[in-house]
Amino acid sequence: MRGDPILEIQGLDLGFAAYGQVTQVLHGIDLRVEIGQRVAVIGESGSGKTVTMKAVIGTLPHPAGRVLGGSIRFQGRELLTLTRSERDRLKGTDISIVHQDPLTSFNPVFTIGQHLDDVLRYADRRLGAATDRAGRQRRVETTLRQVQLNEPERILRSFPFQLSGGMRQRVLIAMALLHRPQLLIADEPGTALDVTTQDEILRLLNQLVSEEHLTLLMVTHNLAVVRQTADYVYVMQAGRIVEHGPTRAIFEAPRAPYTQQLLAAIPPLYGTRVQRREALTTDAFITASDLAKRFVSPRHWLEPARPPVTAVRGATLSVCRGDIFGIAGESGSGKTTIARMIMGLLPPTSGRIEIDGRSIEDLRADPAFRHRIQIVYQNPASSLNPRRTVAETLAVPLAFARSARRGERADRTRALLAQVELPAHFASRYPHQLSGGQKQRVAIARALAVEPEILVLDEPTSSLDVSVQKTIIDLLLALRTQLGLTYLFISHDLSLMRNFCNRIAVMFRGEICEQGTTDEVFLHPQNAYTRALIASIPVISDEEERAKPSVTLEERRAVLASTVQL
Amino acid sequence: MSSATDLTQDFEELSNLGRAWRRFLRNPAAVIGALIVISVVVAAVLAPLLAPHPGHAGSFVDFRNRHIAPSFAHVMGTDNVGRDIFSRVLFGYRVSLLLVVGVLGVAVPLGVLFGLLAGYFAGVVETAFMGFTNVMLAMPPLVMALAITAVLSPDLVNSMIAITCLWWTWHCRLVYRVTKSVAAEDFVEAARLAGASHFHVLFRELLPNCTAAISVKTTLDAGFVILFGASLSFLGLGVQPPTPDLGTMVASGAQFLPEMWWEAVMPGLAILYAILGFNLLGDGLRDMMDVEI
Repeated sequence: MRGDPILEIQGLDLGFAAYGQVTQVLHGIDLRVEIGQRVAVIGESGSGKTVTMKAVIGTLPHPAGRVLGGSIRFQGRELLTLTRSERDRLKGTDISIVHQDPLTSFNPVFTIGQHLDDVLRYADRRLGAATDRAGRQRRVETTLRQVQLNEPERILRSFPFQLSGGMRQRVLIAMALLHRPQLLIADEPGTALDVTTQDEILRLLNQLVSEEHLTLLMVTHNLAVVRQTADYVYVMQAGRIVEHGPTRAIFEAPRAPYTQQLLAAIPPLYGTRVQRREALTTDAFITASDLAKRFVSPRHWLEPARPPVTAVRGATLSVCRGDIFGIAGESGSGKTTIARMIMGLLPPTSGRIEIDGRSIEDLRADPAFRHRIQIVYQNPASSLNPRRTVAETLAVPLAFARSARRGERADRTRALLAQVELPAHFASRYPHQLSGGQKQRVAIARALAVEPEILVLDEPTSSLDVSVQKTIIDLLLALRTQLGLTYLFISHDLSLMRNFCNRIAVMFRGEICEQGTTDEVFLHPQNAYTRALIASIPVISDEEERAKPSVTLEERRAVLASTVQL
Repeated sequence: MSSATDLTQDFEELSNLGRAWRRFLRNPAAVIGALIVISVVVAAVLAPLLAPHPGHAGSFVDFRNRHIAPSFAHVMGTDNVGRDIFSRVLFGYRVSLLLVVGVLGVAVPLGVLFGLLAGYFAGVVETAFMGFTNVMLAMPPLVMALAITAVLSPDLVNSMIAITCLWWTWHCRLVYRVTKSVAAEDFVEAARLAGASHFHVLFRELLPNCTAAISVKTTLDAGFVILFGASLSFLGLGVQPPTPDLGTMVASGAQFLPEMWWEAVMPGLAILYAILGFNLLGDGLRDMMDVEI
């Protein structure tokens, strides 16, 4: 019955055993999900949200994971005392999970059809119901139609890599729905996808819950997603539930300081909280005119020639000294290609780039040019050499920096660390001893070491938690005013760009479809794609929801149909 | 750079080394392997002191005491001219380890250098180096060694040369693969953008990321080099009598099988013991450093 609990977790304590001792990671988790409800558990990385879900579904790492106390009741049955085989019967049939990563959840050597058939066959076997292949095929096709995949035959024949991210996520949802579960657990649904695709997936989940009488338990770090999809919210921090309540109450009147802090860290899209950035100067610093890049794959004598890929075409932009210029776009839209051409790392197929009045060809010949433009990468794990300490990493650019003489290097290292607000003793640390945010600070320090004028920021915060993201953004803003830097900020996170950039260019399939000051683009978007893109950004208040450009269903469909993702 | 590292003392890395050491100690096979390797090295270095009959290492002849079965006086028995096999095994380890050091000392740096260059510089360098390496890998090792030692004269140095010519290719392949994947990481481009030279990128950024794989492979290889050297000697292409070599000893002892079994079996066991040690140690290092070979 609606209102009855389907899942009740009471006082759950859980720990991990390592090196002979047990470290407790969950402390007295109480959680209740009612039939037909959409419940979200939100928290930042390491808060214990995924571990809680694993305890429910019974996939804790073995033998390290230990339940230390408490109970988990599903439809009134205690799960923790069930035998392994009793528990396995629930998995995939009464409780299903949709995993986070739509690519690694599949085995690349099997077709989608084989994956789905296996799930169904094994679940049937566990239930003792023998089924034939044709019958299973029909059930699989029906389920695929349910998740709005309209060519089930083609999908079933495909291998995972042949489908887009959005389609793979849909297949994962279909996989979880095959056995008509009572409770659907979704781990970060749509997080790995572009914002327009994520929006579609969330709409689909909402629709399934209401049409199929499902109960949804969702785990996510994205508050805006929660507001759109959940009725009830639990906020987790460091293995404890710090606040819970109906979604509206949590967003409108958060009580726990941690929730308030989380909400405050989310960059607003509209309203009075939006930060506005002004240009420092009005003199054109970087100009690109009619820029194009075509990638031609080398001809192989055994294969027919592949058509060249046009990554960027007809891009014209102008960045002033001291600007924070944002290049927005979804994956594959060509934003990184533009940045690499401006950095002189990729020669453009056609078009002109000028920096400070000199052409890029001219500048590339000049060894000092490299120091005028530096980059901060997206993935902090890959941008630092794991075998070099922070001091050693900084020593490389310092050795070539204009101002640093040999004896000054220790001083410069210390000064750089202070500039990115890291303690001096971090100099002797290795990357694995740093958190994601600290690694990104080191990467910023390395970029600053040669005293550049332009920094290319390639999604520098996309792998960080939202509260850490805020501190990095604040640091970058402080550095800009301090050093008069010009930023070229590449991102797919439009709410962040709204608050960080003073000018923005929106890219769609290799072309700049809209360009202007951030206010112009967000308040009066002209281009249909820009409108659909902005409309699909999840927001955290009704006020913002109303301020978003209104997009009709037809408009949205038209744009989605033309994107690479679908 | 060193002054920058001295900014403050940080002992966290030390405790990490400590943790790796503890992980190593927890693996009994690795510890046994390490002990065996140490015992082999000690035996080889101190052979003149440890051997009960150091004189038997050379062209000593004592026909009264030939073909004595293992006993208290001769723990591994004596051979067909009355020499103490145990003493000759200890001296045989000297030759084996000399071979290992000589071969790996040249083959590993060579293979690592070529692998780094091929993995970092794409295009012509990669095609040329890896093409040549693959051609070398396609040659049957024994045939190749036969050819080299037949052209030159069969002795220790020439068998070293023969084995070295074959061995560097494996290290080249390994380092090439590791370099290729590491070179795609952002920190390599970041170093180049900061103004670092190719030399710096190759030896200061990429090489340290290959050391785990190289050291594991080198340890595992030590055993195989001993085995390969023994095979060459067994065929009469390696070390020549009267220098005691384990492979030669097995070969000459084999004539007296099965009655005087110890003359072939004892040196054979000695080879087995050393190889086992290096392999266990190598496997242990691999578990400790978490690398794929």
